[in-house]
Amino acid sequence: MRRIILRRLAQIIPLVFAVIVMNFVLIQLAPGSLFDVMTSEQQVTDPAMLNQLRKTYGVDQPTSVQLAKYIWSVVRLDLGYSYRQNAPVLDVIVEQLPATVILMLAATVIALLVGITAGVLASVKVNTIWDNLISLGAVFFFAAPSFWLGIMMTVLFAVKLGWFPVGGMRTIGSDQSALGDALDVMHHLVLPATALGLFYAATYARVMRASMLEVFRLDFVRTARAKGLSPGRVVVAHVMRNALLPIITLVGLQLGTMLGGSVVIEAVSSWPGIGSLLFDSVMSRNFPMVLGVLVLGSLLVAVCNATVDILYLRLDPRIRAR
Amino acid sequence: MSRFSRRDFLATTAGAALASRFVGSAAAAPTVTPKRGGTLIGTWGGFEPQSLFVPAGGGSSPYFTSTKVHERLIRLAVDLKFEPVLALEIKPAADFRSYTIKLRDNVTWHDGKPFTADDVVFNAMEYWKPISGGVSLDALESVEAVDRLTVVLKFKAPVPEFFLKSVLASKSGLVIPKHIYAGSNIITNPINNTPVGTGPYKVKEWVRGSHVELLRNDKYWNPGLPYIDRLVIRWWRDPASRSAAFEAGQLDIGVFNPIPMPEIARLSAGGKFIAESKGYSNSAWIATVEFNQRREIFKKREVRQALMHAIDRQFIADTIFFGRASPSIGAIHNSNSIFFTKDVQNYPFDVKKAAALLDAAGYPVKSGSRFKLSLVSAGWFEENVKMGQYLKQAFEDLDITVDLSVPDRATSLKRIYTDYDYDVAISNNSGGIELIPGTTQYYTTDGIVKGAAFRNATGYSNPKMDEIVARMTVETDEPKRIELAKDFDRLATIEAPILPMVDLEPVTIVRSDVRNHSTTADFLGESWAEVWLDR
Repeated sequence: MRRIILRRLAQIIPLVFAVIVMNFVLIQLAPGSLFDVMTSEQQVTDPAMLNQLRKTYGVDQPTSVQLAKYIWSVVRLDLGYSYRQNAPVLDVIVEQLPATVILMLAATVIALLVGITAGVLASVKVNTIWDNLISLGAVFFFAAPSFWLGIMMTVLFAVKLGWFPVGGMRTIGSDQSALGDALDVMHHLVLPATALGLFYAATYARVMRASMLEVFRLDFVRTARAKGLSPGRVVVAHVMRNALLPIITLVGLQLGTMLGGSVVIEAVSSWPGIGSLLFDSVMSRNFPMVLGVLVLGSLLVAVCNATVDILYLRLDPRIRAR
Repeated sequence: MSRFSRRDFLATTAGAALASRFVGSAAAAPTVTPKRGGTLIGTWGGFEPQSLFVPAGGGSSPYFTSTKVHERLIRLAVDLKFEPVLALEIKPAADFRSYTIKLRDNVTWHDGKPFTADDVVFNAMEYWKPISGGVSLDALESVEAVDRLTVVLKFKAPVPEFFLKSVLASKSGLVIPKHIYAGSNIITNPINNTPVGTGPYKVKEWVRGSHVELLRNDKYWNPGLPYIDRLVIRWWRDPASRSAAFEAGQLDIGVFNPIPMPEIARLSAGGKFIAESKGYSNSAWIATVEFNQRREIFKKREVRQALMHAIDRQFIADTIFFGRASPSIGAIHNSNSIFFTKDVQNYPFDVKKAAALLDAAGYPVKSGSRFKLSLVSAGWFEENVKMGQYLKQAFEDLDITVDLSVPDRATSLKRIYTDYDYDVAISNNSGGIELIPGTTQYYTTDGIVKGAAFRNATGYSNPKMDEIVARMTVETDEPKRIELAKDFDRLATIEAPILPMVDLEPVTIVRSDVRNHSTTADFLGESWAEVWLDR
């Protein structure tokens, strides 16, 4: 067990290295540079000033030197300096990452709760009106673009009904206790997390339904029923536990893509997370920031995947036996 | 000479009377007593700034936030007269080679230190000239503090009064504290994220990705101001979310086209919101089509003129900009009531004439096409994308083969302004009332700087043009200067290296209980000290 965990952690190092090199090359291949964007925004046209900025931003050096310098600084746990934000990359990320993590966790919890419940319900009531309704809902939420869903939910629940705030993470300027603050954040979290979560809930519902139906047919379920267990206990303790494996796999995989999905939702509901930061940084070719987010993102995904593997070991003893 | 355009005059007499009394002197009695207090939540039609204050000129976004904190010596009111802010008076010497600036007394920085002539000397030599002003302050030779509140600027050549005042009232004229910046790299000083100024609002907290909270400066030099206790500037990436925020009562004011254009009529219909187009004349935007003079075809003036006839600018204004723009007359925005002139070459929409001109220029239709061109439409505005599609159609009606591409912002900047990799480009320029250097650099030889955006990317170079601009740079007699500006515009429209398409009319959306806004020529960059809430 410990060996497996250590091996998984060791795999992260080359992964992060590959992420750096690949993304660095990709950003360099994209036309336009941070320098172009910054100087145009600032309307700098004085040639002397242009040269001075080129030197300040370090873009006067060859690409290979920039890459080498970057890798060396990452080795020393320094993600570099972002001239665009006028602050160290790590500071900016640390400031904005928690908001995204909260959003992603809340969306994942909503996706799992809604998805698994809907999937189980559909499989238990297979081929009834319930099953059809859930399938219809799943198709809808899977197909609806999340920005549209986000805006529609805002229009309905924030503008028309006034139940939730239209955006942001906190009520601005309210000095509250820790508990009050937490409740305030949760209040702001409901709409974006739901809009983001429902997309994934749709997938989980479909996968859970199929997986449940498969497990229902297995012999041990028949045995469980035969020994007189209540239908509820059969479903929850025997079928669900075994049907959960594919969901766990999906969650592990989707934590990475959720970072991408959160870009859109963060934009729509002005959630102060890492998504819009990443988007801006790509658009402005701000490679220290893009790399910083991706390095931390890849670490996050790698750790999540390692956790999923460990969860596998707990859920399915057969894997440990191998 | 009247500094009012007729349009502005009718609209602003009432507002201007109100506004003028708050600045420095107490003149006319107010018709309504302003109320103190409250929270104003504002935004603008773009994204969050990279830093709350960006020293090197600054794009619109940091300019919007930093001007609530940093002030300038003077400002330009909506009637295009300069009003005192930190300077009480700026007076030229008889030869216009030096200017004496009298500063306001009893002004303190947000950290309590006094604002003095030393600060202005530092700004002029260490900040304005080398960093923010660039070529505008080329002629500045030395600066001297005569006493605690008097500064003298000395120049190598005569400097027109309107020009210098425009520079001081512009983006590049923000005054920053010497005691914080002296000896540091101004561009990367961490204080830029929590700027300290003399302005009516102090920075309380910036939550990256969300908003900045500004609090009333209780020690502001104008004791009654600001009226508002707390100013919150929030940023949304999505224009539709901004309209939702307006409707939900969580946003009071948005400058520079905050919401999608079709939404403007809907939102302002109920009377709860007002759509205001005043307050943009000193940062006027024009949508342009630029011709790369490095291409043999576009070196020919006749070709450029012919294509001008091929474009229906009224259609662009009405359909693409939903009427929030008007067809350009010349190179100068029509809201510039000082230098604007109608007495220029005009090009009515006439496809037949365009075709005849192209035939005459030596480009008849051969096997279905006259020639092929690559059209690059800078994708930073949604309207540019649509203009690209329209222009492709319009040029194809003349049997020109068009290869349209709409790159993202960084790529557009590189293709148009660094690599010159285009035949025809759709771009935008913004300029102040003063034409030098903002507007003129699109046409002059010294405006050709590889890698410098929003300058002469076409490569157009004409000694006659350079001479007019050079004379305008040192002409201190105002009426003569205006004549030179008209010469400039006439030559620019005849030569047509850049085709001005439409003059944009940006819109401010504001709740009807927000009072006394849009009173200066550059409202996006105003301190908002005089805005108050009638709640």
